[in-house]
This record gives sequence, structure tokens and C-alpha cells, in this order.
Amino acid sequence: MSVRTEPIIAITPKRISRRWILGGLLLSWIVLAQFLRGKATLELDNPDNSPFTTWAGEVADSIRDNRTDGAAFKFFFNPIREFIDGFVTLSRELIAIPSGSSSIPVLGWLGVISVIGFVVYAVSNIRMATAAVALTFACGALGLWTDSMDTLAMTFAAVILSLAIGIPVGIWAGLSDRVLKAVTPILDLAQILPTLVYLAPLALFFLIGPASATIATMVYSIPIAVRLTAFGIRGVPTSPVEASISMGTTKRQLLQKVQLPMSSRTIIMGVNQTVMAALSFVVIAALIGAPGLGKPVIDALIIRNVGEGFVAGIAVVLIAIMLDRSTSAAISSQDTFVPPSDADRKRRRIGLAIAGILAIVGIVLSRQLAWAAFFPKQIDISKQIASASDSSVKWVTENMEFLTAGLSKAVTVGVLNPLESVLANSPWYLTVVMITLMSLILGGIRSAIVSATLLGAIVATGLWYDTMITFTQTIVATLLTMVVGVIAGVWIGRNARAERALRPILDAGQTLPAFVYLIPMLGFFGPSRFTAIATGIVYSIPIVVKIVGQGIRDVPVNMIEAATSTGSTKWQLITKVQLPAAKKSLLLATNQGLIFVLAVVVIGGFVGAGGLGYLVLLGSSKPELQGKGLVAGFCILLLGVMIDRIAQYMVARNSAPKH
Amino acid sequence: MSEVSSAISVNNLWQVFGPNPEKIVGSADASLPRAELREKTGNTAAVRDVSFDVAPGEVFVVMGLSGSGKSTLVRCLTRLIEPTSGSVVLNGEDIMKVSDARLRELRRTKFSMVFQNFGLLPHRKVIDNIAFALEVNGVSKEKRHARANEVIELVGLQGFAYAYPEQLSGGMQQRVGLARALAVNPDVMFLDEPFSALDPLIRRDMQTEVIRLHEELGKTMVFITHDLSEALKLGDRIAIMRDGAVVQMGTAEELIANPADAYVEDFTRDIPKSHVLTVRTIARPLADTETATGRTIPAETIIRDATAAVLDANGPVAVVANGNVIGYIKSRDILQVVGGGTEA
Repeated sequence: MSVRTEPIIAITPKRISRRWILGGLLLSWIVLAQFLRGKATLELDNPDNSPFTTWAGEVADSIRDNRTDGAAFKFFFNPIREFIDGFVTLSRELIAIPSGSSSIPVLGWLGVISVIGFVVYAVSNIRMATAAVALTFACGALGLWTDSMDTLAMTFAAVILSLAIGIPVGIWAGLSDRVLKAVTPILDLAQILPTLVYLAPLALFFLIGPASATIATMVYSIPIAVRLTAFGIRGVPTSPVEASISMGTTKRQLLQKVQLPMSSRTIIMGVNQTVMAALSFVVIAALIGAPGLGKPVIDALIIRNVGEGFVAGIAVVLIAIMLDRSTSAAISSQDTFVPPSDADRKRRRIGLAIAGILAIVGIVLSRQLAWAAFFPKQIDISKQIASASDSSVKWVTENMEFLTAGLSKAVTVGVLNPLESVLANSPWYLTVVMITLMSLILGGIRSAIVSATLLGAIVATGLWYDTMITFTQTIVATLLTMVVGVIAGVWIGRNARAERALRPILDAGQTLPAFVYLIPMLGFFGPSRFTAIATGIVYSIPIVVKIVGQGIRDVPVNMIEAATSTGSTKWQLITKVQLPAAKKSLLLATNQGLIFVLAVVVIGGFVGAGGLGYLVLLGSSKPELQGKGLVAGFCILLLGVMIDRIAQYMVARNSAPKH
Repeated sequence: MSEVSSAISVNNLWQVFGPNPEKIVGSADASLPRAELREKTGNTAAVRDVSFDVAPGEVFVVMGLSGSGKSTLVRCLTRLIEPTSGSVVLNGEDIMKVSDARLRELRRTKFSMVFQNFGLLPHRKVIDNIAFALEVNGVSKEKRHARANEVIELVGLQGFAYAYPEQLSGGMQQRVGLARALAVNPDVMFLDEPFSALDPLIRRDMQTEVIRLHEELGKTMVFITHDLSEALKLGDRIAIMRDGAVVQMGTAEELIANPADAYVEDFTRDIPKSHVLTVRTIARPLADTETATGRTIPAETIIRDATAAVLDANGPVAVVANGNVIGYIKSRDILQVVGGGTEA
């Protein structure tokens, strides 16, 4: 008989002492950092290379020299590139660029719009179809028809290829535990990898251009398709599956007649998410030559032209809304397994026939008549939008300066600078030791080993200082995100009406590409570290609020009733029952928040936040710094993995059984 | 054991979960209690050394509390769970030894199953749910729908053929489950707690329905339940399981009259004996002081049904089996059973 009571007694004092140790550690870290300020910070000036980045540059050069003759290129990378290039070109010729000898795409603007209307009507309903047509038309009215169509064509090509790989692999992983186990680490890694990281390496192997951009997009969106498909197949209730096997189905029959039809909802949800991921990536992939709306957005960011960036940003948002609404409408029309009545079906068939005829008329006109082929130049409101956004930004910065500048200054002086002085401007060994000790206390011995190893690797790359700058911004943005996110999350978790009101905004916020948020933030806060932080906050708040809200809602009712019946106040209920009970959700939200923030903060490097993101950008424009850019991407990866691992170990620790 | 006379014959069936299940069967550890076995070897014996024969047309009930292994047992019989060892002989064919293809064929034609959670396919109409086994067996749409319509009639689902499962009540859904199992005209039906998820009133209706179907069609059934009154109502014979093993097997009367151990006795405690036992079990020789009344009663009469006649007789009544008097009972004997009521 083992003594089982011991751990129960041990838990309480251990908790308290852990808190004290953590506090003591922080205090001594701050004090030591003050004493050793500016020593051994390993700061590397932007134009300089470390031994490691020099080596990385040489490796990149040798890969580049190999491109025409190397076997790996001849037989692997180049054929893939050519195939994908062909596919993307086909997709672009359909709607965006002149096809063959013609001076227009296969479909002129009227053709595109009528096909979009027809397709959206076919998968959802007339309201969605009208909205989709209007949104697409608006992209043209912004004077960005061709760029919008390029973005759409790129997204379409990437989505088709991603689903062609992702759904079969997902089905396989849904059916086989072994396959799932094999792909899970890859899926996890893909999920925490900031988008900026794999652009440069892919461009190295697949050249700069649409093919590289598509491959990068696929790398980003395939895992999402795999994950949701596998999730859908695994989510099919066991009893119909068992019953079907008991009736003698073969594996194939089981898949076709039971598992696929019953998981179609989740798989379509996966298609929706794949589409949204692909769209947001196609925008950022402009950095490695993706045609479309990403280019004007990035150009505008780099030359700090808020007005022009804003117009392109709006077009991205319009396309995002169009794609999201029409694909998710396809999900909700599948809410029940009961199909519509025969009368409804007949009505719909007539509707489809009419829509089909309209689409064909649109296509034919757009191939015959100039006005239907080229989007009319008379309809162009881009100048008005640009100047309106410029003047409203100007108004805000002039009249609300106390707010924008005040907020920016408060965060920068109050939080950012002190943290930077501890993390980045103190000796590297102090930071390494302290982070390792803290992850030992928070996440246990394995998390400490992981942290020490990853931090050691970052030191070895020579980009320690820049990594710590990025890390500081990530932490500050996450802290602020959590403050706002927990408050809003508790609110929507406790108030169903607030939840209903906020959900569409949160959903919309989650689907927009990160880049888009950067433009107004740049307008409000100018090129600064705070702009990156503010964008990170705005981008990651929706996911944090959603997770926290869900966690609060999931607290069992009887727990709340018990607390209320003992006379708890509302405040006591929140702080003593709901938040502690939702602890796992809070940790999960923090983890997700960190990952989302990191992805955006590095992009903030484009608008004056410095750190690793800026080095990536430099690397892509200056050949002598390309090695440094690649290594900076690698450091982002290491940082992301470290943050994720510490958080995961904390979650694991906190959800372990208490006795 | 496996004469041709039994529809299904189960011999020494074992199902062990864990790291090395094969090593357990036949070893000294096999006889350890379940918890000790797990502690010692890491294995869990869900089904241990189960043997029984079911006669053609018989309703054989397997009864036990949750965790007793009864659901695993029934899944082993159709190899939805692979047993560790033993044999299950169906019409002279050991289904443990058949190929995957043959097993599928057997599942499509020879036996069928009804599940606790119905296991209906929500995306298919009632008629296509019922015809599913025929469909996977390649029967043409016309033929399988004709057959499905027959069984729809049989289970009283007229008018619901083109409804979807989610549009039906629980009881109606399980009728679809029953119809689906009947559609292939199987030799043996396995019913795994088919009515446990239903309301008591509907459960009673469905039990009656099964009795009716059994009387009409005479199917061999293996019926799993945790409810003794359901077992007594439906079962020709009942096997009581505990910790994966069969602790007692017999007719309702045998179980109640002679519980094999305290576990079985505990089970049967709440059952009014007078509703199950026949007068045979309480017949006794005539005492010296008594004189027979000359009245007789058949030995297989249930005590409850004999009450009026015996009380009326005002003296010992002869219990007759095959024309011979096997003993006597009088009102006091009956009252002892009835008055003992639900008690031991």
C-alpha cells in the first residue's frame, strides 16, 4: 500500500514557495541588469555580419550557383517549380493577365463577376451571391481590378493545390493513428511558424516569383487542410461507424458512405480556413514576387504612404470578406442532414438555371465587348478613399495626439524600455540563465532544457541582440493583449448578448491578413516600435477573447451555483471561481496570443520596429546581407518554438491530475 | 460441444487488453481477480473463458453490470473486437478462423446487430439506413428497397421510409435499428442493450415488440442487458457475467431458485419470486398431519398464477408433472413465497 495522502499535503506550500522564488528571481534579474547594463549585449550593427550569418550567406550563394546544374534542382526543385508555375499562370490567365495572344484574360471583368455570382449562389444562397458580386465590383471601383484578380487567382491556385494534397493526407491521418502521429509534429510546427520565416528559404530554392509564392502559401495552408480533415474524420461518432462495420462494409465503403458524408461539415470548414490562410499568405508573399494586392500594400508600408496602402488594404479586406462569407455560408447551409423539401429544391433548380444563363451571358459579353472586358476607368474612387484616409489620419494625429502619442509614449517608456533594458541591454549570459531558471520553475526541467538549448543556438547565430528586441516587443504586446483579452473574454463569457454582438467582429478580425492592420496603425503611431506592438495586439485580440470567453462559458454551471449560493459577489465569482476554473483556457490563450503576436511583431520590422523582421527585409533587398536575413528568419523560428514549448509545458503542468 | 443443433456455439472465449494479451490466457495469472491481474501484468481481461451454446430460435440473454464485459463479449462474437483466443462457431463455421472477406460476407448475410446508441447514419433516409447492409452487399436499388419496405411494415414504421433519423423519436429510431438488423434476414441477431437509452414506457413497448417479432420470425437472438427484469421478460436462458466471466447460466427460474453465489443472489433480490418460480420449486411431501384435497395443479404453473387456486383449495394441492404427483403445496407455502415478497 503506497501512501497517497502525501502529495495532497505537499501541494499548497509548494505553490506559495514557487511564487516567492519567481518574484525573487525577477527582482534579482532587474537589479543585476541595472549593474551590468550595456555589457556583453552582443549587439551587431545592421550592415555587419556575424561569422554565422557570413557562412549562411555563402551557403545561400552556393545553392544559387547550383540552380541550373545541380541534380537536386534539375530533378526535384525545378520540375516542381515549373509545374506550379504553369498551374498558377493558367489560373491567372483565366481572370487576371492576358491569355495567350489575346490582350485580355479568358474572362473579362463582367465574366468574372457573373461567374463569382453563380458559384457563390450554387454553394450558398442569393444573398451571399449578391454580396459577393458587390464586393468584387468594389475591388474594381478601388482601381485595383487587375491586382485584385491576381490575388484571387493566386489564392485560387494555392487553395486547389493545397486541398489536393491536404484533404487526402488529412483523410489518411483521420483513419490511421500512425499517420496522425507522424504528421502531428509537422502540423504543430507549421502552426507556430511566423509567415515571414519561410519566404526567403523557399525563394532560394524556387526563385523569386509566383511559383515560390504559391509554394510558400501551400506550406502555410496545407497543414490547416490536413488538420481539419483529420479532425472531421475522427469526429464521426463511433456508433454509426461500428454499426456499418457490423453490416460488412469494406474500408472503402465505410469511408465513402459513412465517414466522408458525416464529416463533410468539418471538411468544408477546413476549406474555408484553407482559403483564408492562403489569402493572407498570398498578400505577404508579395515579398517573394507574388503578384496582386500584396505589392501595393508592402510598397506603401515601406515608403510610409498610408493613403495608398489603405486603398489596397481595403481591397484585401473586401476579398477576404467575400471569400470567408461565401465559403462559410456553404457550411451553415449544411447544418442539418435533412435536405430541403422537394418544392424548395425545384425552386432552387430554376434559380440555378437562371444564374447559369446570366453567367454565360456575362462570360460571352466579357469576351466580345471592350466595356465588359476592361473594368471601366470612370469608376474609380481610389483617389477619394486615399485622401479621405490620409486626412482622417491627419485629423486623428493632430487632434487626438494626446491619445495616440500619449499611449505610444506611455507603453514605450513605461513598459517597453524597462523590459528591453533587462532582456536586451543586459549581458546575454544573464538573460540566458534567468530565462532558463524561470522556465524551470514555470514549466519544469524539460522546458528549462529546451529554453537553454534554443537560447544557446540564438547566441551562436550572432543575432542575439535583435532577437531580444523582437522578444521584448512580443512580450509587451502579449501582456497588453492578455489584459484586454481577458477583460473582454470574461465579458462575453458571462454575457450571451455581448457574445452574440461581438462574435461577427471577432470572426472578421481573425480572417484578415496581418498586413492590413499595419496600415492604419502606421498612420496613427508613425514608424515606431509601438506601431508593431499595437498591430500585434489588434491582430491577436480576437483569438484571445474567443478562447477566454469559451473557457469562462465552459465553467460548469453547478460550480457557479454553488459559489452563488454561498453568497459570493460578482467580483468574487469572477476572480475566485470562473478565472481559476478557466485557467487552462487562459494558458492556451496566452500561448496562442504569443504566437500570433510574434508573427505580427516581426512584420512590424518593416515600419521601424527593428529587430529580426527588419533584418529579414534587409536580407531580401541587399545581397550582402541575405545570409543575415536567412538567419534572422531562423531566429524567429527558434524564438517561436521556445515560446510555444514553455507555454505547452506550463499547460501540461497545470492540467496534470492533482493527486 | 458444438453439435449442429446449436445456432451459435462459443467456446473458451478470451479477450484481454494490454501489452501482452496472448501470454495471459492459459497462464497461472489468468485466474487472478481482474484488479490484481492489471496490477501484476498491466493487462485487463474483459472476457475470460466464456463458453455457451445458443439453440436455434432461442433468446439468450447476457446480463451484467457495466464493466462486466458483456458488451465486449457481444463484439467478440462478431469480431468487431478481435478476441484473444477461443472459438465462435456459427452454423458449423468457426468465425474466428475465417478470412476478412468471408467475415464481411457473414456480416452482410448471416448475422446482424442492434446497438444501444442506434448507430443510424444521419445523412441517409430511413429506407436507405435499413437497406444499408444490402447496399454494401451489391443488391440492386430496386430489390433492396422492396426488402426494406417489407421490414418497415414488420416493425411498424409505415410512413417514415423517407424521413431522416433526426426527425424520429428515440423509440422510432431504434425501430429503424431493428428493421435494419432484420433486413438481411439473418440467422442470428445480436442486440447490445438496445433499449437502455429509451424512456421506461417506450422501453416496455419495444420489449413487447421484440417478443412479437421473435414469435413471428423465430430468430435466434443474443440479447445484452443490464436490466434483470428485461432479461427475465425476454430470455429463454440467461447468463450472468461478472468481471468478464459467466458466473451462472440457466433459465430465469433456475437463477432465482438457486443463485450460484451472493452476487447473483444480490441481483435477483428485487425480483418477486412468485412472479418467476413455478410451483415445482416449492412442492414438498405431504406431512403426516395433512390430507390431500384431491385437487391438482400442473408443475410448470407460476406461483403467482397458482395463488387463487391454492388458496381456494383449503388444504394441500397435488403438483403434477407428466401425470405423476411430485409433491404438494398449500396456502401457507404460497404465502411464504409471496409474503417473503421481494426479500430473500
